[in-house]
Amino acid sequence: MLTALTIARKEVAQRIRDKSFFIVGILSPLVLAFIFNLVLGDVVRPSASPTFALGLVDEDDAELGEAFREMLAAAEASGFATVTHFDTEAAATDAVNDGDVAAAFILPEGMSAAVLVLNQEATIRIIGNVDRGIGRAVAEAMAGRFAEIVRTASLSVQAALAAGAITPDQIGRAIADAAAQAPVITAEIVEVRSRQLASATFFVAGLSMFFIFFIVGLSVTSLLEERTHGTLARLLAAPIRPASIVVGKTIASIGLGILGMAVLAIASTILMGAEWGNPLIAALVIVAAVIAAAGIMTFVGGLARTGEQAQNLQTVVGLTLAMLGGTFVPITTNEGFLASVRYITPNAWFMRGLGEVSGGAYGEAFQAIGVLLLFGVVFGGAGLFLVRRLVKP
Amino acid sequence: MASNYVLEATGLRKQFGQLQAVKDISIQIAPGETYGLLGPNGSGKTTTISMICGLLPADGGEVLVAGMPMTTTTLEPKKIVGLVPQDLAIYPDLTARENLTFFGRLYGIPSATLKARVEEVLRVIGLLDRAGDRSGTFSGGMKRRLNIGIGLIHGPSLLVLDEPTVGVDPQSRNSILESIEKLAGAGIAVLYTTHYMEEAERLCDRVAIIDGGEIRAQGTQDELVRLVGENERIKITGSGPIAAAAERMRQIPGVAGASAADGELSVLAADAGATLTTVLQELAAQGVAIASVAVEKPDLETVFLHVTGKALRD
Repeated sequence: MLTALTIARKEVAQRIRDKSFFIVGILSPLVLAFIFNLVLGDVVRPSASPTFALGLVDEDDAELGEAFREMLAAAEASGFATVTHFDTEAAATDAVNDGDVAAAFILPEGMSAAVLVLNQEATIRIIGNVDRGIGRAVAEAMAGRFAEIVRTASLSVQAALAAGAITPDQIGRAIADAAAQAPVITAEIVEVRSRQLASATFFVAGLSMFFIFFIVGLSVTSLLEERTHGTLARLLAAPIRPASIVVGKTIASIGLGILGMAVLAIASTILMGAEWGNPLIAALVIVAAVIAAAGIMTFVGGLARTGEQAQNLQTVVGLTLAMLGGTFVPITTNEGFLASVRYITPNAWFMRGLGEVSGGAYGEAFQAIGVLLLFGVVFGGAGLFLVRRLVKP
Repeated sequence: MASNYVLEATGLRKQFGQLQAVKDISIQIAPGETYGLLGPNGSGKTTTISMICGLLPADGGEVLVAGMPMTTTTLEPKKIVGLVPQDLAIYPDLTARENLTFFGRLYGIPSATLKARVEEVLRVIGLLDRAGDRSGTFSGGMKRRLNIGIGLIHGPSLLVLDEPTVGVDPQSRNSILESIEKLAGAGIAVLYTTHYMEEAERLCDRVAIIDGGEIRAQGTQDELVRLVGENERIKITGSGPIAAAAERMRQIPGVAGASAADGELSVLAADAGATLTTVLQELAAQGVAIASVAVEKPDLETVFLHVTGKALRD
């Protein structure tokens, strides 16, 4: 064990001297996370629920117009929409064209009389901005919903009239009241998995997981390079067990991986306001992720014959796992190919584990830790079996 | 009865696929003795020392280091063997002192004495003033000296040097050879492989001429030269069909052997003076333009030519 530690110490000194640890393990993920967060932060986690700017021209100015205004007021009060009142259709059209509102409702003159008294059809027109499809669709849905409420209220009132509960001259008022009192349907996003990382934390975690593959992958590539440069022969000529060379390099790689992640976590907390949740459990997730990455990279490197070949293979595998695991951009869908394969990657389990820690779901976090350790043990075991041939005289 | 030899290798054999790389090689080296393996590239020198150092399993034969069997798995005999590989087996990102300290730890030198030992080796290899510099910044000669220093750090009884002066400038080469002479003088057994005849002549008490994976002759330099008999070497440089001319030379009465390499023709003859005229006439007939002619007394290169039928650089 002392020999392995001596080799590990030498490895650490080399990595720090050649700056590969600093550049790959700390600087690259931190700088890229900062840029990604700056550019994509609101895409990953919108800062607030959307509010739709809508306009209204009430040319009816009667019972149904009043009911419609009350419905919009309720939507405004809930923060779902802002409503601007216009006197003319021309003014509303200008506002839509200028982008001040996403869509404007035009309530036609005589709408209440036509619907409530003459029992005729009326049309609420919507002026929409072609570039703001969502706002236009929301306006369309709200108008449709209002028409539905009026129709339902009308049936109820007709029934009340038939039953003698109201008189014919009360019909119009009753329908308008029912429409106004009908609950306005608003959308509320309910996240099944609400324990997600804030954008800064997400990018730091995702990118550090991506780059950590290259830090831990150096254990095998350095072994292959030592063989090429002749220093491995010198190590094997020394009175040490060949296994201690592999163990020493693995200790160094895992140690540097954990150190890099820890530095990133602290630096991103201070510089970018990243939030990691319970530090102890977050640390356990990080350690498990580094072990998983080390296992996979040992296996991949073990398939190679030269250091260059190992680096190429490790780059392809690291990049693929990062893409599939959603460490660059989150996979938001629960359907399709990506959703079904993401959890075959340690990257996805790492992000999930950190998300659980962030949301206080420690039981689920430990489940992620267990899966990550399993990755490390299975691939690491197979990898060590492959790497054994490199130190076999 | 305890052996007088630090190294006893007996009947070593190694085969790679169809290639018999080492054929029944036996070597004994006593303390303070420098033993040279002289042979061209690909003659089996590195394979032989790889088996001696426990880096390669032998297909047959035995290696004893201070009486202990050396295999790829034994650790005890490795403690008293210092290997200086042909490649520059140093870590360029570490300083000279760190390189020596690292290998000193691997050889189990106690911390209390390691620092002093490192400084001593740095002095021996002449790198005390650059001890704190990264070895990657060193000149080729300095790297070679550090390469040797690492092999010495644990004070080995047997130092194995595999072509340690390849690619080194003449000044550094001389410095390296002086260091090795001092080591042998201090009682260390040295196994030295080279394809430079002059190095073997300068350093080695005994020399083995190795070619095609087997030792063709071995002994002291005097013993080897006696193998050639009274043959002298006619060394001719020039241009033209020298290789073809060498074939023709072998048919001249009185010529014991001939070889050509790098525009140089070597002809062995019992009486160089008597044969020289015929040789020159034949070369002229063959269309060889002669640049220089020299007659030399027998040396190791002559021996190599005599026992293998070709020059050391073939």
